[in-house]
Amino acid sequence: MRFPRLQRQTLTLVAVIIPLLFLFIYVALRSGPLAPIAVTVSTVESRPIAPALAGMGTVQARFTYKIGPTVAGRVKRLDVHVGDTVKAGQVLGEMDAVDLDDRISAQQAAIKSSEATLRQAAAKEAFAQTQASRYEQLLSVRGTSEETVVTKRQELAVASAVLAASREDIVRLRAELEALRAQRGNLRLVAPVAGLVAVRDADPGTTVVAGQAVVEVIDTASLWVDTRFDQISAEGLATGRPAKIVLRSRRSQGVAGHVLRIEPRADAVTEETLAKIAFDAPPVPLPPLGELAEVTVQLGELPAAPTISNAAIRTVDGQRGVWTLVDGGLTFTPVVLGRSSLDGLVQVVKGLSVGEQVVLYSEKALSAKSRIHIVERLPGVTP
Amino acid sequence: MAAKGIHIEGLSKRYGEGDTAVLALKNVNMQVAPGEVVGLIGPSGSGKSTLLKCLGAVIDPTAGRMVLDDEVIFDDEWKVRDLRALRRDKIGFVFQAPYLIPFLDVTDNVALLPMLAGVGNDEARKRALELLTALDVQHRAKAMPSQLSGGEQQRVAIARGLVNRPPVILADEPTAPLDSVRALSVIRILNDMARRFETAVIVVTHDEKIIPTFRRIYHIRDGVTHEEAGEGRSFQ
Amino acid sequence: MISLAGRDILHAWGKFIFTGIGLGLLIGVTLTMAGVYRGMVDDGKVLLDNSGANLWVVQKDTLGPYAESSSIPDDLWRSIRTLPGVAEAANVTYLTMQVGRGQKDVRVMVVGIAAGEPGTSGWPPQLVAGRQITRGHYEAVADIATGFRLGDEVNIRRNRYTVVGLTRRMVSSSGDPMVFIPLKDAQEAQFLKDNDAILMQRRRTEANRAFNRPAVPGLLDAVIASQTSNNSVNAVLVRIQPEYSPREVAEPIRRWKRLTVYDRAQMEEILVGKLIATSARQIAMFLVILAVVSAAIVAFIIYTLTMDKIREIAVLKLIGTRNRTIAGMILQQALVLGVIGFVVGKITATFAAPLFPKYVLLTPIDSILGFVAVLVICVLASIVAIRMALKVDPAEAIGG
Repeated sequence: MRFPRLQRQTLTLVAVIIPLLFLFIYVALRSGPLAPIAVTVSTVESRPIAPALAGMGTVQARFTYKIGPTVAGRVKRLDVHVGDTVKAGQVLGEMDAVDLDDRISAQQAAIKSSEATLRQAAAKEAFAQTQASRYEQLLSVRGTSEETVVTKRQELAVASAVLAASREDIVRLRAELEALRAQRGNLRLVAPVAGLVAVRDADPGTTVVAGQAVVEVIDTASLWVDTRFDQISAEGLATGRPAKIVLRSRRSQGVAGHVLRIEPRADAVTEETLAKIAFDAPPVPLPPLGELAEVTVQLGELPAAPTISNAAIRTVDGQRGVWTLVDGGLTFTPVVLGRSSLDGLVQVVKGLSVGEQVVLYSEKALSAKSRIHIVERLPGVTP
Repeated sequence: MAAKGIHIEGLSKRYGEGDTAVLALKNVNMQVAPGEVVGLIGPSGSGKSTLLKCLGAVIDPTAGRMVLDDEVIFDDEWKVRDLRALRRDKIGFVFQAPYLIPFLDVTDNVALLPMLAGVGNDEARKRALELLTALDVQHRAKAMPSQLSGGEQQRVAIARGLVNRPPVILADEPTAPLDSVRALSVIRILNDMARRFETAVIVVTHDEKIIPTFRRIYHIRDGVTHEEAGEGRSFQ
Repeated sequence: MISLAGRDILHAWGKFIFTGIGLGLLIGVTLTMAGVYRGMVDDGKVLLDNSGANLWVVQKDTLGPYAESSSIPDDLWRSIRTLPGVAEAANVTYLTMQVGRGQKDVRVMVVGIAAGEPGTSGWPPQLVAGRQITRGHYEAVADIATGFRLGDEVNIRRNRYTVVGLTRRMVSSSGDPMVFIPLKDAQEAQFLKDNDAILMQRRRTEANRAFNRPAVPGLLDAVIASQTSNNSVNAVLVRIQPEYSPREVAEPIRRWKRLTVYDRAQMEEILVGKLIATSARQIAMFLVILAVVSAAIVAFIIYTLTMDKIREIAVLKLIGTRNRTIAGMILQQALVLGVIGFVVGKITATFAAPLFPKYVLLTPIDSILGFVAVLVICVLASIVAIRMALKVDPAEAIGG
């Protein structure tokens, strides 16, 4: 009766105190700065990688025709609307002629009047010619004075000159008429190529200045993506490389294309290289101009080399490297990195060899003295 | 004058000063020899408690003389400073209620006193067990006070009062909560122990059941003691 | 001599344990509170650590990219890069905003990181899953605290980003988790409000006669284009060469480039000293109150425990127990209570810490300080009880 009671009390006490103490020790060692850092490791593998470049661009037409009048004027009619397909040479609209037709009529009248003047001058010249030859004959038979013949010759020369002037005048007037007619013809807005009306900037009745576009026609066969690549990652970009174009409105499907040309001028402000990516076949339906597109340019596959994930790369004291596992301890190994692929694999040029164990993920920054605890997956990360 | 047991002459105790002073003890004389058990009887307000406190070295009397076991505790020129040690070494207490320490088992309740006096734990426990055996409660040595019956508790309390072999035991109404059989048994134990350990025992009581057992009785009334002979009846 | 305190505790251990657990919960709250403060400071420090920079170059006379807004041209890094002692200079933008994933949105700090390779200043220094950003656009590395998972598509402004990597403890100074996106996207995100706002601004520009001139076709387009591009960043992170001191490198930038430059110590002073100063004082007040409450509770418990034993103490005194022994008994009990409370509190705080929405950092030094404080509080709290116990009249035991 006596002993069991005391013992039971002591046992219950121990049963409460011991777990508390164990918990306390666990808590003191397993949490906070004393706790080991959970890491995952991966093995350096030799594998080929296929680097690729990712860039952003907008869909543009290579050839855009801005059609407008060559002189200031008013739009008379416009037959096409945005989205219309046009043929080469098709009349798209016309500028208002205003007084051009009247000026042509006046010119035609002026030509007629000049022709009458010409006829008069020709008659005068013929008469002067006749007079002159008659007095020449009279002089040869001494029927008249030398002085009278000279007078008649002078009259003939004047009449000839007047006739010539009249003729040139008519040529001038006709040329002027032609000019007016040419201008009259230029009032028509004609499509230079087959294409698609992209912009209609003015409606009939609008006054436009010389050179202002009324209609923009794009050449649908010449769509390309004006793409920008970060200079820092643009290594290997070359004309002819295959590319995958993903339009923003059609994220699920990619369209094949290729690098058409790399612009000789880069964008100095944004530090980007510009390139044109052409569609292998124009996408149907046509994407709107200015639509955003993601472009991935495939570069050639590189031969196998030691490869790690870019998540393993750390910077310690300004040096890039990885934490390698040697006999359970951590060593920082500086590495020289080669090319990388878009899925996060990067080749190691120098510093690592195949089969080495490197720390891939870690809960916090590591140091050579860190106590680590290797796990399959870091806590909190769902598969 | 030096003597074994307890000797008190002309003891008085005054509470307060001047006009409001109350004289609780006026002239108390008392002698108890070793091995003797005397009764101290008095109504409430008679100065009984004050006398008990003076005897128990809890308070100092105002005047008079008190000698305990050949040692002068108090007189007009001298008084003992370390009342605590005095209580521990010279006086055993047995109370109306046993007042055992609830968190110590029976042995340690008894052994605590020698331990406080500097005796080693084992030796103290040995002494305690001896006494418990003498009082016939050794079978409860490991029990906690709350598990004991009233009589057992009182016996343990007596054991505690005796464990340091004090020359004097003060028992304050030790039989109040007990029936007559148990009360008489307690008195018998006190008598046995007094004889065995040569201890002077003063039993403060107004328990009619036990008054006839005393050979000598001190009555106290208005702070003055009167000695008279008791019946000295034996207890069967 | 046997231990009176120990015997009393063993006798009434249930009472002690439960009182200790109650006290422990209170101590747990106090420790957690200290942890909240440490967490705030740590948020600031990891922000600086994770940026990987030695110097922060910001707009003149502003308090850096974290505490104040700062705007500098995005081509400035080139001239800083050429200064002696500069090993690396990288643009960075910071923008706190709501980021949507499905129906919910999360408050995050969007960090625009300069193009380059992993390890560049500003890039997340380590991941817990996935990979670093490889594409120049529309990829994101998110902190795990955002609740995003690998492969999630998140909306930042009007663009959708694919989460390719996850980090842990990458937070802003106010504890918002970070989302790393390429710098150019971030610049756009920082500038772009929403499509409506853009349209309205475009309309306002069109209505402005000065920009919309019939005689100058193309002017309006140029104006609008210039309005919708953003060539600013918030700061340039500079990593210096080991043989130079931060001061040496910072001085020419400050003097000749007319920019403000902060080094690590100054940045910490801004984040810890200025940004969270009020919150820290707030928490300090709470700590003081909790300490006072704990002390009051310990004092009250010890007082009650002693009150329950007043009769025993009187008996102990009557039979000659020294005051020291009685005081020691009470003091030991108070200390035991404190130790139980501390152990329970430490355990509670540790298990409660991860449940907090913001980071709670429990440092060993705080635990040690807390332990000492608890013991001191227990000693102080037991003084009242000890004084009372010493005043107990041994005569009380003699029914008087």
